[in-house]
Amino acid sequence: MARVITITSGKGGVGKTTTTANLGTALAMRGARVAVMDADIGLRNLDVVMGLENRIVYDLVDVVEGRARLRQALIKDKRLPELCLLPAAQTRDKDAVSPEQMVYLTNQLRTEFDFVLIDSPAGIEGGFRNAIVGADEVIIVTTPEVSAVRDADRIVGLVEAAEKGTPSLIVNRIKPRLVNRGEMLSVEDVIELLAINLLGIVPDDEAIVTSTNRGEAAVYDQHSLAGRAFLNIARRLNGEEVPFLPLQDQPGVLERFFGIFGRRRT
Amino acid sequence: MSDLISIKGGRDGLRMRFDDTADWPALLVQLEQQLTQNQAFFNGARLTLELGERSLDEIQLSELLNLLQHHGVVADALSANAREARNAARAIGITARPLPRYADPPPGTPSVAPESEALLLTRTVRSGQVLRHSGHITLIGDLNPGGELIAGGSVIVWGRLRGFVHAGALGNAEAVICGLELSPTQLRIADQIATTPPRGNGPHVPEVARIEHNQIVVESWENYKR
Repeated sequence: MARVITITSGKGGVGKTTTTANLGTALAMRGARVAVMDADIGLRNLDVVMGLENRIVYDLVDVVEGRARLRQALIKDKRLPELCLLPAAQTRDKDAVSPEQMVYLTNQLRTEFDFVLIDSPAGIEGGFRNAIVGADEVIIVTTPEVSAVRDADRIVGLVEAAEKGTPSLIVNRIKPRLVNRGEMLSVEDVIELLAINLLGIVPDDEAIVTSTNRGEAAVYDQHSLAGRAFLNIARRLNGEEVPFLPLQDQPGVLERFFGIFGRRRT
Repeated sequence: MSDLISIKGGRDGLRMRFDDTADWPALLVQLEQQLTQNQAFFNGARLTLELGERSLDEIQLSELLNLLQHHGVVADALSANAREARNAARAIGITARPLPRYADPPPGTPSVAPESEALLLTRTVRSGQVLRHSGHITLIGDLNPGGELIAGGSVIVWGRLRGFVHAGALGNAEAVICGLELSPTQLRIADQIATTPPRGNGPHVPEVARIEHNQIVVESWENYKR
């Protein structure tokens, strides 16, 4: 049975779409059948980040409104035949889809895939609610900034209120040097406030910018630290125990991560 | 709160109980006074109306709802024994049900002042979450920035207190606020407001906030208990 996982954040621009694209790709590289769904109707991006923009014929709203079958709207990835994208509509808005339709759609995807990753829009309104309504699990992406963490905290409350369990956390764009100088929130600061399970830490990496612009996931790049972090997160999603990546020049912090979080992987 | 209108808090939220027999226009006048006086407590609240045996028609009920809404209060539900009142509520679009069986304690039960009824919670109160209770609130867990606790009585946070707390929000200046780590965005007791300067990450000691000479003072638990 498929796992439906929604990736959300509250605040915009923290890396939801990049995370969805990279996790989807990483899971498919490891042999899983993966569908990634762009739930950001009206502001679609996932297709661009995955380099599939020019292959879109039908989108999510076409499927919901009966103009296309799901099979027709799913776009196969360029490299990985096991990876499919269900793009969002660009010319409509969040009201084009109802929660019931989202549940129906995710349930249809369940039958054909091992993982369904849903890229949520920012915010806490209808679009966000649609994105989590069909999910089994929720992953929250945040950056180590006070505003992003505050929004993440709000989202944790809303996800719990929607009875989707306690979400897990990815801290994106950590800059070890700034953390060391005490100028950036550390992962511990974030965890202390949110008090949820840490799924991964992704260091800030310029390679993400180039990979995003080229439409190729960073996980293909052996040299990208962020890419390796996303690969590790995919392995953790598969139930493997993977230690957190050594962030440059702060081994002390890392050792503490092993102690605190290493054993909680399931 | 008053003899004709009482407010009670419980795990399922606030309930506003109206006297069964008092003159309705007089009740509305008193309600208006109460809402104005205790604006800090009521603004943003959601509650259940309890009408007892009283019957209301649609016009009277919408008058009541308008008055509440004007003060930032939303009535989610109505419980009443009179069918007419329940039908009026459904026509307006709010949930209606008969009075719960446990609504009033049997006669002869020693009554507890509503403000001393305490609510115990074990959880994290996160940004955007508001807990409102007419009595004391004890939270075992953190109150995160952006989260709010609003109590008629005192507030105890067995955890980090980083959000907003209003104790004595129905006017009780004797109320106190205790926290294991007191770094709130704002504290209020009765009608006093205190903002705290940001503090370092040094070791925190349990602290108590209370009103002294018309302003909020904070001291360590060790000093307070002497």
